[in-house]
Amino acid sequence: MKKIKLDITVNGVKHSLKVDPNLRLLDLLREELDLTGTKEGCGIGECGACTVILDGKAVNSCLILAGQCAGREIVTIEGLSDGEKLHPLQQAFLDHGAVQCGFCTPGMILSAAALLHANPAPTEDEIRVAISGNLCRCTGYTQIVEAVQAAAGKDKGDWWLQI
Amino acid sequence: MKNTDMKMHVRGRSLFIDDIPTPANLLHAVLFTSPVAKGTIKRLDVAAARKAKNVAAVFTHLDVPGKNQIGHIIEDQPFLAEDELMYIGQPIALVVAETRRAARAACKLIELEVEPGEPVFDPREAYRRGLIHGKKRIQVSGDTEQAFKECRHVIEGSTASGPQEHYYFETHRALALPVEDDTLKVIASSQSPGAYHHHIAEILDIPQHKIELEIRRMGGAFGGKESTAVWVVAPAFAARLLDRPVKLILDRNDDIATSGKRHAYVFDYKIGLDAEGHILAYEVDFYQQAGGCADISLPVLGRSFLHSTSAYNIPNVKITAVSCKTNVPPNNAFRGFGVPQAVFSMEAALFHAAEETGLDLEEIKFKNLLRDGDTLPYGMRLEQTDGVRCWETLDKRVDIKKKLEECEQFNREHDDRKRAAAVQPVCFGISFTQTTLNQAGCLVNIYLDGSVAVSTGAVEMGQGVYSKIALIAADALGIPNHRVRMEATNTTRVPNASPTSASTGADLNGMATQYACRELVERLKAFAITRFKHDNPRDISIQDGEVHLMSARTGYTWEELIRDAYSARVDLSCHAFYATPGVYLDPVKEKGRPYAYYAYGASLTEVEVDCLRGTYEILGIDIVHDVGKSLSPEIDRGQIEGGVIQGIGWATIEQIRYGDDGRMLTAVNSYKIPDLKFVPKRFNIHILENASNPYAVCNSKAVGEPPYIHGIGSYFAILRALRSVRKDKPAPSLPLTPEKVFMYLHG
Repeated sequence: MKKIKLDITVNGVKHSLKVDPNLRLLDLLREELDLTGTKEGCGIGECGACTVILDGKAVNSCLILAGQCAGREIVTIEGLSDGEKLHPLQQAFLDHGAVQCGFCTPGMILSAAALLHANPAPTEDEIRVAISGNLCRCTGYTQIVEAVQAAAGKDKGDWWLQI
Repeated sequence: MKNTDMKMHVRGRSLFIDDIPTPANLLHAVLFTSPVAKGTIKRLDVAAARKAKNVAAVFTHLDVPGKNQIGHIIEDQPFLAEDELMYIGQPIALVVAETRRAARAACKLIELEVEPGEPVFDPREAYRRGLIHGKKRIQVSGDTEQAFKECRHVIEGSTASGPQEHYYFETHRALALPVEDDTLKVIASSQSPGAYHHHIAEILDIPQHKIELEIRRMGGAFGGKESTAVWVVAPAFAARLLDRPVKLILDRNDDIATSGKRHAYVFDYKIGLDAEGHILAYEVDFYQQAGGCADISLPVLGRSFLHSTSAYNIPNVKITAVSCKTNVPPNNAFRGFGVPQAVFSMEAALFHAAEETGLDLEEIKFKNLLRDGDTLPYGMRLEQTDGVRCWETLDKRVDIKKKLEECEQFNREHDDRKRAAAVQPVCFGISFTQTTLNQAGCLVNIYLDGSVAVSTGAVEMGQGVYSKIALIAADALGIPNHRVRMEATNTTRVPNASPTSASTGADLNGMATQYACRELVERLKAFAITRFKHDNPRDISIQDGEVHLMSARTGYTWEELIRDAYSARVDLSCHAFYATPGVYLDPVKEKGRPYAYYAYGASLTEVEVDCLRGTYEILGIDIVHDVGKSLSPEIDRGQIEGGVIQGIGWATIEQIRYGDDGRMLTAVNSYKIPDLKFVPKRFNIHILENASNPYAVCNSKAVGEPPYIHGIGSYFAILRALRSVRKDKPAPSLPLTPEKVFMYLHG
């Protein structure tokens, strides 16, 4: 299979790569760039575990080909914190006990981050809608919603500018 | 205290098995499995697959050097099929290749000829044909025959509960790495370090000390990784034979199609009450949909058996239970381990009885709740029961009667929407029913800088057991929490560990940890008195990382103490062992004291049904739950919440379908677990105050499984709403899906 050229920005770092045309964005991140914080839960866009932010919007990276991301900007969970300083959402997930096994957590946080980026002060219903595509089998979501509510006022969008 | 993994989880830095940097020369393993539910292998030809590009090997049972067996309780479960095929998805051959794609492609080159047999899928039919695992179990307490004669009301019926997919986010997987001197390191997603370690050694015919099995964490398990070792054994077997690292990862749909589920059950019940609603007699027959092999089905059935009367005191009971050999993948453990099925049957009988007699359902339930001095059918006399207190606390918080009246008022005012509520009590026995498993080991190491590492047999799957054990260690040593680190669960540090299941992880391993830490403290105190030229070690204590003498601060820090103790040649490492005292069950008489204690609870679930569409909404759930003296209220709240939602999922929307040939028709896109739109917005959890428990570490109670039972209330709340519309047909089986609701109302 002939490889295609791909210029892509991930967590603020520009990459120039040659990839298989059928390579999923998820595999690009995990296999080629070693960004294993992005998880594969189902592989068909049902669970949201592989959520990343593509040009400001939350997407399932298992449903997008790497080639579709040429010239675009990706943020993964590794790019959300400012060095050792946690993003308000990450801190809120810790503070509210919104994490159990942790497998859905990166995707859940990124869906919430995309929401807060677009809507810094969402209502509870808006939060519920925004992260309803992210499944969690361990919690009952209550602590997750509480965490996003708590982070809502604290996200100034600064993280977005830093990457 | 946070779940110690949390900080890494929120940054995506925690390494699950597929996140471990790829070792050089890594091979990938894929199983070739049975396409038929029953049959005999006539010809198996793997020659073409072996020659395929990038294929390193194709193994069959003929290549197994040791015992070709992974049966968890009964040896009826070959690792790779020999001749008999018992279910679709049964492993036949193992293909190992440079890539997963190459391994999958090679599977298609395997030639298999099968003489088909006649599969059986209905548990009752399997029982009629004598196809059962183990023996039929019967338990008799009192005299039901005589008691029914004295009952004012006797009601009989049948019902059924369906299977449930675990849907752990991290599917079955393991990475096996050959190390020097013919040893093997296996990093697995498994709840059973001891049993899986044993299986690998038996299959390879090598001593267990040549295998190191490590479990750092799992992306969920819920019981599904307690048995059926094939997905861990397979890469270990291939790595050993090929002397190269091998990884096996099940695709989501392969995991759903070939791994076990919560057991479906069919029930026949007969219940007798007096005029006031006292339950005088109860008979129930359990037919368990076990699958082609026994796997862990018999212990699951055993727990159903012992929880058949749920939270109620019933003087005359007769229970029969059979594990039916049906041709589906062997079902296995799932949070609750047979208890939810037994509770559902009891509650279905009570619901039916209340309808038939006109007695008030909640009054019947409350009147018959287990109280101090009551004796369970297996002869265990109860003490320190908290079921009534949970119910009364719930009633104070929600006013049960008023809530039910409000629903009725709403229903009078609305034709196309109906509301109802149901109260669900919980009484859940804690300990492994198999007495042997109630043991745990721990190794605590104190290093020269005062940092502490704790190893136990407990595995972390998100339930926070590492955090709880770390808390217990820090408390017992008298040092700040951050000085304690939990090591990955590893068979070289703690051998023969029982599975982390039956909600006992913190109870057993926490107690072993407390023992080890106390022993270390005693050693350190004996040393410290020499330094203070004092004669009584009892006057020494360690608090907040500082030595205290006669309860007064000394300024002598933990770090100084450890450094000096090391210089004085004090042993700073300690292994300890705990075995739950006093638990036993006579397998012949079916009597004993199988559980150390019980966890209690009560909840009210309120629903609204859209009678035109068949859809429904869980409006709210109010829970009072007993966790003893909580080790961590935050973790316990998370466990209660998650357990309840999983229980609601089983009772309502989670449905699995098999085709006529036994093929799984349900896949990840057609299996719906509760999402954010489904879970109730009103979700009130109240942890029972002033609860304690002398039978577990730090007076706590287990919390993993018992809250699941609250979820069953959602089925009965929906059913009650449906019965307010029509009662001219039998209650649908569980799960009560929107489809079943629609068909009930309009079919």
